[in-house]
Amino acid sequence: MAALSAPRVATARAHPGAEFRLGAVARTGVLVVAALYFLVPLLASARYALEGAHGSYTLSSVTALFHDSVLLQSLVTSVEISLGAAAITLALLTPTSVWVNLRMPRWRRAMESITLLPLVVPVVVVVLGIYGAFPTGIVASPVLLALEYVVLAMPYSYRAIDGGVQALDLHTLVDASRSLGAGWAQVFRRVLVPNLRSSLLSAAFITVAYSLGEFAMANLLSFTTFPTELFQIGTEQVGEATAVSVFALVLTFGVLLALSLFGGRGRRRAVRTGLPAGQADGVVAELAAEVDAVLGHADPGRPGIVHDGPTMR
Amino acid sequence: MAVTRLTGAPSPARSRIGAERGPAAPGRRSRVGRPRSRVARRLRFAGIVPFVAYFAVFLVVPSVSVVSSAFETVGGNFTWANITAALQGTYLVSFEKSLELSAISAGVSAVLGTVVAIALASTTNVAARRVVTSASAVFANTGGLPLAFAFIASLGNFGIVTKVLSAMGWNPYDHGFSIYTLTGLVVVYCYFLLPLMVLVMLPAVDGLRREWFEAASLLGARRRDAWRHVGIPVLAPAFLAALMVLFTDAFAAYATAAALTNGSIPIVPIQIGSLIEGNVLAGQQNVGDALGLGMIVVVAVAATLYARLQHRAARWQR
Repeated sequence: MAALSAPRVATARAHPGAEFRLGAVARTGVLVVAALYFLVPLLASARYALEGAHGSYTLSSVTALFHDSVLLQSLVTSVEISLGAAAITLALLTPTSVWVNLRMPRWRRAMESITLLPLVVPVVVVVLGIYGAFPTGIVASPVLLALEYVVLAMPYSYRAIDGGVQALDLHTLVDASRSLGAGWAQVFRRVLVPNLRSSLLSAAFITVAYSLGEFAMANLLSFTTFPTELFQIGTEQVGEATAVSVFALVLTFGVLLALSLFGGRGRRRAVRTGLPAGQADGVVAELAAEVDAVLGHADPGRPGIVHDGPTMR
Repeated sequence: MAVTRLTGAPSPARSRIGAERGPAAPGRRSRVGRPRSRVARRLRFAGIVPFVAYFAVFLVVPSVSVVSSAFETVGGNFTWANITAALQGTYLVSFEKSLELSAISAGVSAVLGTVVAIALASTTNVAARRVVTSASAVFANTGGLPLAFAFIASLGNFGIVTKVLSAMGWNPYDHGFSIYTLTGLVVVYCYFLLPLMVLVMLPAVDGLRREWFEAASLLGARRRDAWRHVGIPVLAPAFLAALMVLFTDAFAAYATAAALTNGSIPIVPIQIGSLIEGNVLAGQQNVGDALGLGMIVVVAVAATLYARLQHRAARWQR
């Protein structure tokens, strides 16, 4: 690649009309401005979170949070809800995807479209519908949030699982296991789940991330979750709320990296071989590829797919 | 093949057709995958019943309830009153504001995101490209409260950037800017829409072949002509499809606006939120549902356009 770039520049100079790419100055300028726009708010919130009297730095806003029992309780609630949602997601969508690929392959595209439908109904509208259609007893229980998050995160989680299932040689695996006498439960436990590990992990991660960050539904259904409590704090003390949100962001990135270290081994190998030799050695690039793989953006070229990850808007 | 013939159900001719289709239809070859009798064919759908039931209860039922309540009085009789109320006064203004906000932030992000995507496609530095792509993936997933707080910390009344700018003698708040307004929301929305645009447009920009531009140049085109007659027409469907995604994303966003403006900008999701929280005029209990129906319609139109455009855009991406 590096060897190729020199003659390429020469060609561009010889035929200026042929060059459709940006010049070096222009593209550096574009990337620098973009970097400023994206990094300054993050740095500003870190600074804000650590701001003490007269411009000094202090951890007091951060430590204050650990003594806020309401906030800690809300964090526990959020974690419970998100783990519940992830468990339901895996239990519901894995068999569904396997079944669709095995027994009704013609419906694969239709299923992809159906699972995108939650994107068409804004969350606020789903909340309206919940108030209109569900009995009050159900609306009062936070279990409802876990159940709904399964649907709301489905455009991303189903895609993650289905991508893994489609990549398997499902028929051979199932035929082989069945002919060796395995029951369906065994096929799932011993053959499919181990083969699907990274897809299932990323589906679980996406669901957890969505559930931990979701604000609109929790707030409008009057539940106290981590984001709604954060919002409450934010109306009074922006500094502390910013501290929490920075903390939450760092935590999310941490989980993301941990997950990629444990979950993405197969993919990492693929990424390594996918790069030209001599250019894949940057640690940053490798980590970046990991983040990519976990967020499901590793292959943004697949047509017909909405490339939006889970959002918390 | 041997397995197929042993089971004896399909004629050899049919299974051979299946085999010729090869990897495109692996289901045809397998004995587990093929429904063998009429009963089995009917049972084909049995495995997705739990999924369908779950989906119906937690998404379809609430959505249908919103749509039907939009045409009902509180007593349950048919009426157009909610719809007409939703298309008047403050509610109409909220739709205008929402459309304005989503259109401007989607448009700005789409244009700038394409520029970044082109810059990224031009670079020969693979590591830089990877870093920017992954950073885009991360930033496209921000939003909501953390983002609102980050912008208050930097561009708010007492934000750090605001302080720096005032120290330099130019306080943006003296020049009509405020992060708590529609313009401010556009600045914040671009933070997650722009990276999304980069992710969506990059494959399309990568699909632009140097050869096409070289061919155009050989035929006497200047750089501008090549863009006008080759580059832009090829990118246009992908660009417009991505624009729809961005628009939808901005249109449905609630948390960011709620946290940033505390409900002072009456965009539709905020308006619905305040109706849910009980700020309802007597006799207008179902106006919220009419607003919800309006949102569904807007998003559905954008999604349909997306599907159409995406279909055209896929032609050039191989």
